[in-house]
Amino acid sequence: MKMMEVTALSKSFDTVNAVNNLSFSLKEGRCTALLGPNGAGKTTTLEMLAGLLVPTKGTILFMGSNQADYREHIGYLPQQPVFFSWMNAVEYLVFMGELSGMAKATAASRADELLELVGMADAKKRRIGGYSGGMKQRLGIAQAMIHEPKLLILDEPVSALDPVGRRDMLEMMKRLKGHMTILFSTHILHDAEEVCDDVMMIHKGELAVAGSLPELRRNYLENIIIISAEESLDTWARTLERWTVITEVRVRNNTLELFVSDLDKARSQLLAEITEKKIPISSFTVGSTTLEDLFMKVVGK
Amino acid sequence: MNKWLVLFRKEWLEMVRNYKVIWLPLVFVVFGLLQPITLYYLPDILKNAGNMPEGTVIKIATPSSGEVLCETLSQFNQMGILVIVLAFMGIVAAERRSGMMKMILVKPVTYTSYILSKWVSALLLTFVSLSLGMLAAWYYTILLIGSFPFVDLAQGTGIYFIWISFLLTFTLFLSSRLKSSGLIAALALLLGIVLSLVTPLLEKWMKWSPAQLTGAASSLLTEGAAQGNVLLPLTITILLTALFLYLAVREP
Repeated sequence: MKMMEVTALSKSFDTVNAVNNLSFSLKEGRCTALLGPNGAGKTTTLEMLAGLLVPTKGTILFMGSNQADYREHIGYLPQQPVFFSWMNAVEYLVFMGELSGMAKATAASRADELLELVGMADAKKRRIGGYSGGMKQRLGIAQAMIHEPKLLILDEPVSALDPVGRRDMLEMMKRLKGHMTILFSTHILHDAEEVCDDVMMIHKGELAVAGSLPELRRNYLENIIIISAEESLDTWARTLERWTVITEVRVRNNTLELFVSDLDKARSQLLAEITEKKIPISSFTVGSTTLEDLFMKVVGK
Repeated sequence: MNKWLVLFRKEWLEMVRNYKVIWLPLVFVVFGLLQPITLYYLPDILKNAGNMPEGTVIKIATPSSGEVLCETLSQFNQMGILVIVLAFMGIVAAERRSGMMKMILVKPVTYTSYILSKWVSALLLTFVSLSLGMLAAWYYTILLIGSFPFVDLAQGTGIYFIWISFLLTFTLFLSSRLKSSGLIAALALLLGIVLSLVTPLLEKWMKWSPAQLTGAASSLLTEGAAQGNVLLPLTITILLTALFLYLAVREP
């Protein structure tokens, strides 16, 4: 089932088109990563989905209906969550819970539960003003989840954290994945690959690539064979370009990068030719391009 | 309504935690106390100043109770407005700047109830401060100078409060639109000063001016009845207040 369906979403600020004709859907119970370089329009997109910005054009259907206000089903963590420094964690969570329409007592017990979950039970009575960045990020996650939303939107949840905090946050997201639909933005591809099921890459406000991780691997990630040798491979490379199984040849000094369409066939043919021509290779590596290569291709570098 | 109450409670908790709920009334009470006391002891103060030539006779008629309270009000009209504008200039702008506003508005809360919770709490604290200040002045006036009817005091303060509410609402409106607190305070004070200056100068054309209310409040205190047409400026002020409030709750 589709949790959210976005059609032709656009947002322009004065003359700048931050988001341009973006269409996608989020499936229920899945974790989607929104990838893109800085300034691609990630935050603008998320803010529109969270109801903080009014789109210039386009529609957002939530749970199949066009109901105007679905904010009570959404938990949102902005890039830099801010808090009232004069409140303590429990007061803040109860306040946010009440704003989401919960009764005070329910919000209070849920707050205790969440603080336990994010590992802040021992600091819950301290003023937020004295919290570290990592604690604030955890509290930010907790406030986004206080009303048990159906969809959790996280804007760069890990990029401001140290390695330990980052690990904790990723583990937490993995645990949450089963319970709710998650959409998070990041520019760290490794994190995306680790926790998400689906990937959307946007560039300059437009959707560049979208799909599930296996789909992307199948459709976009290519098999490559990297051959290094002790002498220049220029002349051999030129003959390889004519092979049908090889789609692209890149030569760098004594190293060849071959993009191949049929890995098995290419491998045996290449190995046969290497023996036949007695090419003095030093290494022969079979692999595939990474999400990062795809990302770089999308971004156009 | 429920969520409005949650926001309203948060505003009060914030004003308690940052002591606004103490210092704002305190400022008004101190100014309220000071006025009757200085006016009463003025001859003694002058005598003890010491640099008078030998044999100077100082004769200052002790002012009437109404005049003392009227002086208090004009004191509030300068220091009071300054303090109120400074206290509430960041009421919306600060939360917009920090990003707190987004944290709140992403929850199912309307912008209107968000702004209204701020407006009502600021208005309430201002009302309490002004009332306490006038009561303090009233108490010392009765003690030192002479009795004064409570009804007149309440009426004068009430009319004056409408003028203050107008300026407060204007401050809130500016705060909902502008980012810089300094600019907000400057514009709000400018409006107060310009209206207060221009109204008595161009009496003929400014009969509608909200600043007429300060004159009306003064005459209520000194003469027991408001001078001139009070209804016109009263209506205009309430309408302008409503207008600025309406503009403030519209999402920019």
